[in-house]
Amino acid sequence: MAEKRPDRTLGRHHDTFWEFCGQGELRLQKCESCDHLHWPVVQKCENCGERNFAWDRMSGRGKVVSWTSFERDYYRGLLPVPYDTILVELEEGPLFMSNPQGFGWQELSPDMPVKLTFVAAEDTAGEFSLPVFERET
Amino acid sequence: MADYGAITMPPSDRALSRKTAIVGIGETDYGADYQAERTRPEGWVPPTEETLLTTAFERALADSGLKREDIDGITTSFTYGGPPADEVAKMLGVKARFAQANGNIMAGPLPVACAAIAEGKADTIAMLFAVASRSAGRLFGGMTHSTGGTPDPDEENRTPSSYYYYHPWGWSSQAAHWALIFGHYQWKYGVGEEDLFHVARQVREHAMAQPNAVMRKELTLEAYMGSRYITRPLHLFDICIVNDGAVCLIVRRADLARDLAHTPVDVAGWGHAKVKKNKMHVMVREQLRPQLQEASAQALAMAGVSLAEVQHFEGYDASSFHLINQVEGIGFTEPGTGLAFCRDGQMTVGGRIPTNTSGGNLSQAYMQGWSQVAEAVRQLRGEAGQYQVPGAQVSMTNLAQTDQTHPIVFVRGDR
Repeated sequence: MAEKRPDRTLGRHHDTFWEFCGQGELRLQKCESCDHLHWPVVQKCENCGERNFAWDRMSGRGKVVSWTSFERDYYRGLLPVPYDTILVELEEGPLFMSNPQGFGWQELSPDMPVKLTFVAAEDTAGEFSLPVFERET
Repeated sequence: MADYGAITMPPSDRALSRKTAIVGIGETDYGADYQAERTRPEGWVPPTEETLLTTAFERALADSGLKREDIDGITTSFTYGGPPADEVAKMLGVKARFAQANGNIMAGPLPVACAAIAEGKADTIAMLFAVASRSAGRLFGGMTHSTGGTPDPDEENRTPSSYYYYHPWGWSSQAAHWALIFGHYQWKYGVGEEDLFHVARQVREHAMAQPNAVMRKELTLEAYMGSRYITRPLHLFDICIVNDGAVCLIVRRADLARDLAHTPVDVAGWGHAKVKKNKMHVMVREQLRPQLQEASAQALAMAGVSLAEVQHFEGYDASSFHLINQVEGIGFTEPGTGLAFCRDGQMTVGGRIPTNTSGGNLSQAYMQGWSQVAEAVRQLRGEAGQYQVPGAQVSMTNLAQTDQTHPIVFVRGDR
């Protein structure tokens, strides 16, 4: 069953990101002029200002750079607290905000290796695949 | 959210240094108002921006010793909206030849007013800030912030800021930013929550000497460690309070400020720097250090003083740890040493850089950077009470957000 989640940002380029997630792929925008990799989604390159992007597939490997566990219910019950978030440095460089899958903040350690997986999720726009990270075994 | 883009920062120009001085300050009764809002005694009426700013204005006017007709400019800064500046001027009985909205948080409004005076638009501006967020029941996170984002006409950037973008993973709120930065710092430097305690404790000690502070109870390690987490690893006491209030700063042409009730406090320099790319990296791994360095160097150069000459600092303690980002990033202490620096008393009177000496956002009031300027004025006048920095001549304030920073340097003026 799909987990209820707060709403995604949708629109030009954002939709493309989520469509790739739906195919089980984590792809980020790579500027065709300067090769700068972006996350989150941008409309123009934050490095050189150009507007043409390729969607580079990430390997899905990364390491945990930081974390936050939410004990305050900012989403008014939509996400039961406490829940954990991790900041993952993807092998390709960008930092990616996500959730740990199958482990909690108590088990985190600096630079802990993690790998990409997807969970079925649902927001007010419909069902989607949410990229999360599990322990690298 | 109000429009942060309304402000165009004047350049850090030596020609604008010390052309204006703060000659009057007024604040509302933060502590008493907070208590009244919580206990709601019979006959209590929720404050509005209008009632709050009227109180702050009348106090600042009395403090300055000026007459109402001496005020010829009004600017208004509201985080969540308020009446137009010309209506405020009428309400206060001020004949303003210059009246305009002027941003909101203390990230630009003061340099804008100083530049307006330098351009001859007014001689004496009453700058008004008011916020009535607590009475409105605002929650600083979650879906109260939209996912749609505000289109930025200049950048056509339809990506919402980090406050909003990570909703699907449940990551939002200002507190989460500071938690994420501290989580990384803990790993990098091997510090613990009990080390962070000293920041909240130090700022609380300062607030305990302030009659108008919201939080005046001693903060023990036991109370801190036992308090609930908001966004782990940050406790309740690591996050700023939310309260209603107003601040008025009366800013006057420096050459007209020499024979008033108080020693004038000259606005000597300002700066601004913003992250342009890789925000998360700069925020978490670099703790905004490149921007803090760049902007403070601009402000110090404009003021013509060195960092070593700065005797007092008022940082933006939206979170305890964010204050450490600023103290380290500006260069009062080395990266990774900020918590020991605070624990060892370097951030209070007698130490290297007495910081947030009236209790900051953590314990005195959350006036979004404005009460910090009022405290800098008291310090440079020599009227700061128990935590007065002896012989204070130079003070720096700094409003650091998650991706940009706005320092201001103040110098005690001549009489």
